[in-house]
Amino acid sequence: MYRQGDILIRPVDGAAVPPSVLALPPVARDSRGRVVLALGEATGHAHALTGPGTLYRTPQPMSPDYLHLSEGGRLVHEEHGPITLPAGWFQVVRQREYVAASLTARAVAD
Amino acid sequence: MPFTATPADRPRAEAGAAAAYRAAGLPEPSHILWVPSPFTGAVLAALLDPELPETRAELASLIPAGTCTLRSPGVPERALPSAEAAELLPRLGAGAPVRERVRSLPWEAERAAAYAELGPAGWAETWARTGGPTWEPVNGLVARIRAALGELGGEEHGSRLRGASLDAVLGQHDAPWLGLFASLGRLAPLHGLAEVAASAGWWWPRENLVILSERPSRLCRDEPGRLHSGDGPALAYPDGFALHAWRGMPFPAGFVDTLAALTPAKIRAEDNTELRRIMLEHFGYDRYLAESGAAPVHKDETGTLWRIELPFDEPVVMVEVLNSTPEPDGSVRTYYLRVPPEVRTAREGVAWTFGLTAQEYHPEKET
Repeated sequence: MYRQGDILIRPVDGAAVPPSVLALPPVARDSRGRVVLALGEATGHAHALTGPGTLYRTPQPMSPDYLHLSEGGRLVHEEHGPITLPAGWFQVVRQREYVAASLTARAVAD
Repeated sequence: MPFTATPADRPRAEAGAAAAYRAAGLPEPSHILWVPSPFTGAVLAALLDPELPETRAELASLIPAGTCTLRSPGVPERALPSAEAAELLPRLGAGAPVRERVRSLPWEAERAAAYAELGPAGWAETWARTGGPTWEPVNGLVARIRAALGELGGEEHGSRLRGASLDAVLGQHDAPWLGLFASLGRLAPLHGLAEVAASAGWWWPRENLVILSERPSRLCRDEPGRLHSGDGPALAYPDGFALHAWRGMPFPAGFVDTLAALTPAKIRAEDNTELRRIMLEHFGYDRYLAESGAAPVHKDETGTLWRIELPFDEPVVMVEVLNSTPEPDGSVRTYYLRVPPEVRTAREGVAWTFGLTAQEYHPEKET
C-alpha cells in the first residue's frame, strides 16, 4: 500500500472489485486531462494521475473509491512527493477523523 | 444548487412557478409575494389559516424586520416591510393551498412511473448515483430549518410554523429528487418545479397567490457537509433569520463571541460538555495540548498519540502525524487527527484514520 498525505492507495485483487463499482460511470478527467483522486478543499491541490487510468467513485462519501491502472502510473500532488504505482486494481481511501459519539448522533439526526 | 447562497433569480423563479401552475391545469397566480426567508414565509403562510384564533396579531409579531416585494395585477411592483405584508395579506384573496396539485401529484406520478420502470434494484442504484449523495446534508438542513421555525414559534405558534413549513415546496432543497428525475429524462413534466429549484428557496403556492422565498445570504459547511461556522451564523437569510452550528451541532448565537478569547482554563470551566467540545475544537486541540502541559501517551514511527481527559465526557484521543514530504524550507509540518478513545498506539490511530487495523497498516511508500 502507498500513502500520499491524506490518501491511502491499497492494492486489491481485481476479482474482489464489487460489480456495483464496475457498473459506475468512470470519473471524468479534469480540464487538465488528469484523473483527480481527491481535491484539497481549501487549497485546490490535487492527488492526480496524468497517465492512463480509470477511477470509479462510490456514491457513499466514506467508502473507498476504486482505481484501475492498466499499465501503472505516477501519482502527483503539489505538496507531496510523487508515487509510482504498478499496474492493477486499487482501493483509494481518504483519511477520516473521529467525531465524538454524541456529536455523531446529532450530526446524523440533523 | 441546494447549497447556493446568492440572491434568488426572481424572473426565472416566477416563470418556473407559473409553468408549474399551468402544468397542473391551474391559472397562474395573480399575486406574487417575495419574502426574505423561509421564516417570514412560514409566518405569512400560517397567517393565511382561516382557523387562526385571536392570537393572530401575536403570530404576526414574530415576523423579523425584513423587506418583501409584492406584485399584484395592474399595480407596479412594490417593496414593503414584512410586517406590512402581513397586514395586507387578508386582502389579497390568496385562496386555497394548491401544493398538492402543483407539486405532489406530478411528482408522485413521475416517481411511480420511474419506479415501475426501474424496479427496486434499479431504483436504489439510480438514487445512489443521483440524489443519494446530497440527500442527507440537504434533508438535514431542511430539518434544521424546520426545527428552528418550531422554536421561534414558541409554545403557542411552534407547531403552526412547523405545519406551514410542511406546506412549502422546497425550491433549492428539492434538488436531490429533481436530480434523480433529470437523470432519467423525466424532468419535462416537472420543468416548472425544477426552474424554481434552480433559482429560489422555499415557496408556498395558493390559488391566487404564490409566496416565494429568497435563498440564504450565507451558508457555511464543513467537509462532511454539516452546518459549521465559528465566526458568525452557519446559515443566514437577508432578514436576519439565522442558525449557528459547529460541525452540525447547534449553539446559541451569543456563544460565538466567547470563542475569540478562549483559554484552557475557560475551556475546563465550561460545564456544558457540548459547548466545551466546540470550544476545544475552536481553540485547537494541539494548542490546548501545548498550553495545558499534556504528555504523549505513545510514540512510534507513524506518529505520536495524545490523550486529554475531560470530566463527564469521553477523552479526546489524537494522533499527531508528520507529513513525510518536508516543506520547501526543510521543516516538517505536523497535523492532528482525532481518533476513537479506545485507541492505544499511534500506529493503531493512524491505521484507524484509513479504516484499517494496526496490523493491516504498512505503507511501503509514503510521501
